[in-house]
Amino acid sequence: MTAILRPDADDIKLIGYYLGKVLLGLGLLQLIPLVTALTLGEWNSASAFAIGAAIAIIAWALSDGLLATRQPLSWAHGMVIVALAWLLGPIATAVPMLLSGRFTDPVHALFESMSALTTTGMSVIHDLDHTPVSEDLFRHLLQIAGGLGIIIVVLSVFAAGGARITTLYASEGRDERVLPNIIRTARFIFQVASTLFVVGTTALVIALVATGFTFPRAVYHGVNLFFASFATGGFSVMQSSIIYYHSATVELLVGLIMVAGTLSFGLHLALWRGDPRDVLRHLETRTLTVTTSLLFALLCVGLVRAGSYDTVEALLRKGLFTMVSAASSTGHQVNVGDTYLYDWGLLAPAAIVGAMAMGGMASSTAGGIKALRVGITFKSLTHEIRRILLPESALVVTTYHAGKRQVLRDENARAATTVLLLFIASYLLGITTALAYGELDLTQAIFEAVSVGSNIGVSIGVVNPGMPDGLALVYILQMWLGRLEFVAAFALLGYLFSLARGRARA
Amino acid sequence: MTGSHSERSRPPTRRLLVGAVAVLVLLLAGVVWLESLHPQLDPSGNAVQGVPPLALDDEPTCRRFVDEAPIDDIRQRLESQAAIERVEEGFPSGGRISSTQVYLCPSAYDGKEVTYVGEVVGELLPRRGGAWAQVNDDEYALVTGPVVGHRERAGFNTGLSVWLEGDLADRIAAPGRPLLRGDVVLLRGTILRADPDDGGGITLRATELETLAGPLQLEAPLHTLQAVIAVVLSLLAAGASLWAWQVRRR
Repeated sequence: MTAILRPDADDIKLIGYYLGKVLLGLGLLQLIPLVTALTLGEWNSASAFAIGAAIAIIAWALSDGLLATRQPLSWAHGMVIVALAWLLGPIATAVPMLLSGRFTDPVHALFESMSALTTTGMSVIHDLDHTPVSEDLFRHLLQIAGGLGIIIVVLSVFAAGGARITTLYASEGRDERVLPNIIRTARFIFQVASTLFVVGTTALVIALVATGFTFPRAVYHGVNLFFASFATGGFSVMQSSIIYYHSATVELLVGLIMVAGTLSFGLHLALWRGDPRDVLRHLETRTLTVTTSLLFALLCVGLVRAGSYDTVEALLRKGLFTMVSAASSTGHQVNVGDTYLYDWGLLAPAAIVGAMAMGGMASSTAGGIKALRVGITFKSLTHEIRRILLPESALVVTTYHAGKRQVLRDENARAATTVLLLFIASYLLGITTALAYGELDLTQAIFEAVSVGSNIGVSIGVVNPGMPDGLALVYILQMWLGRLEFVAAFALLGYLFSLARGRARA
Repeated sequence: MTGSHSERSRPPTRRLLVGAVAVLVLLLAGVVWLESLHPQLDPSGNAVQGVPPLALDDEPTCRRFVDEAPIDDIRQRLESQAAIERVEEGFPSGGRISSTQVYLCPSAYDGKEVTYVGEVVGELLPRRGGAWAQVNDDEYALVTGPVVGHRERAGFNTGLSVWLEGDLADRIAAPGRPLLRGDVVLLRGTILRADPDDGGGITLRATELETLAGPLQLEAPLHTLQAVIAVVLSLLAAGASLWAWQVRRR
């Protein structure tokens, strides 16, 4: 049996060096709300952001000066760096949140920053409707940074690039490399995001002005709405979320941006190159189309049977929007959370839970189990059925299209099913913890645990500023695991185990 | 894994890890301590006067298609003489309700004429024949004022989407924003569980409006110590960055 080797100080230094770069990125990000706060005279917010940014930059400078190394990154290093980055990042960005005085305690501030960066979009902020502009902007900036992937964002800007960050890119839960070169992939992601930012925000601003907003307020809402929607985050400027706008046009635009956010960047590339066929035959597109259509039909049956809505417009603006919000893993709401429990019957919330569990596409800003895995699991199921039905001598080959035509292999099916089961385990953890507090019923516990575990953000009201810290900590763990899609988290556990029990190198 | 150096030349791994955790704990303690020193204002003067009591003093729930029994009970209680008498003169019928009560059993309030009190926040969105407004009836609106310089944190904002008929919106001086509590208004109108003019949303269609309190401008007390620490840390960050840059050049 091969003995596990204990990581040594050089390994720790290497990990610390890269974590420093992630902190630098998050520190520099805080300069945007800092400048905003100074401009608007929000002095306490400005000093909070200055402290947050300074701590992150000092940490980077120390790691850069003391831990710099030319040693190559192994896969294990990459996994551990990514897992720790998604822990340290929320901790670092929780500093200005905690200083704002708008959170119950440090656990809730950490919940908010984890929710922002993982693009979950659940919030525990007190009095959002009177929150200073710079603090609100910061929450939304974290969502877009997290949605695009803080590792790819930071390292493509600050790191040496090439083979080193390829390891980190894959570790961050990106299954599909869009372009052969990782730097070109990063540039393409920025290109897509920037173009859609200009187009999407402009459209939103025009719609908001038509809705009755003044131009400056329309820009403020438009920018934040775009960040939250394209990142499939789901934060909102006002507590009432999308209800606030009373506009079918705004809902339509937000819906389109959410769909754009949930498309994988590989499919964005196909569209960019004018090849929509690639989008149409992709396994994820087909899986999402079929499952979302079926779930929406179920949702409509549930809403009509319960008598919640009786007009087509209401079914579209309340039902379809919520379905798209859940399936894209965004979490924008056009209903108050209590409505799902008290006014939607039983079937409609179940359809939403199904959409939330599945999530969006792999290699996108979306969360959840991902359509690719659900599609592969379904393909492997039909593969097994065909194998049973056909003669034993028959060679059964199942293929699917994901970027290119691929043969379904056992290891792919096993990997997809394993992650699917791990997501279910995460949901069960959230459900049992919520039920253990004894104040929630099963519908509430299931709805919220699936929403949090899949990084969705549609809330039935369990997540709130009065939530117990124990439940908040479990939800934080769920969000972290969901964003990493488990692999990097288990790699970190293995690394910690080898630190404690591994054999020292000769 | 790397292994080019001898065991002796490597700094102890455990010390590095313990050091990192210790720094994180110290950082957390420092931030909590700094937040606790935030200068506080007394919010007791922010309470709005003249708010009529709620017609129902509890928050009954019902679940559509699952448990609809409480609906009739709530409707009867809202129409009872006792509930109506609790409402002030000028709004003689239809007791005051809260947004939370409505959301916990929307069917019970559907089509009911009610009285509602809350703060107008955000923007007024004019449309043909009136304007939409978000009117919050949470603690920040009616009791403590916005979270500015105090720790009376009362959770999420809660409120109703309100359609202000005709020129009612013109009577609103300013909606709430950061550092500003907007007009607190007493409204009378009808609750619609699935308003067809709002794509099926829960709304209050208001026909009467009375201003209970005008806009309240607040000033956040400057956290001087936090500002000083921010300046010191910023200088340290600049110095550390310069040092790191020089180390890299060498």
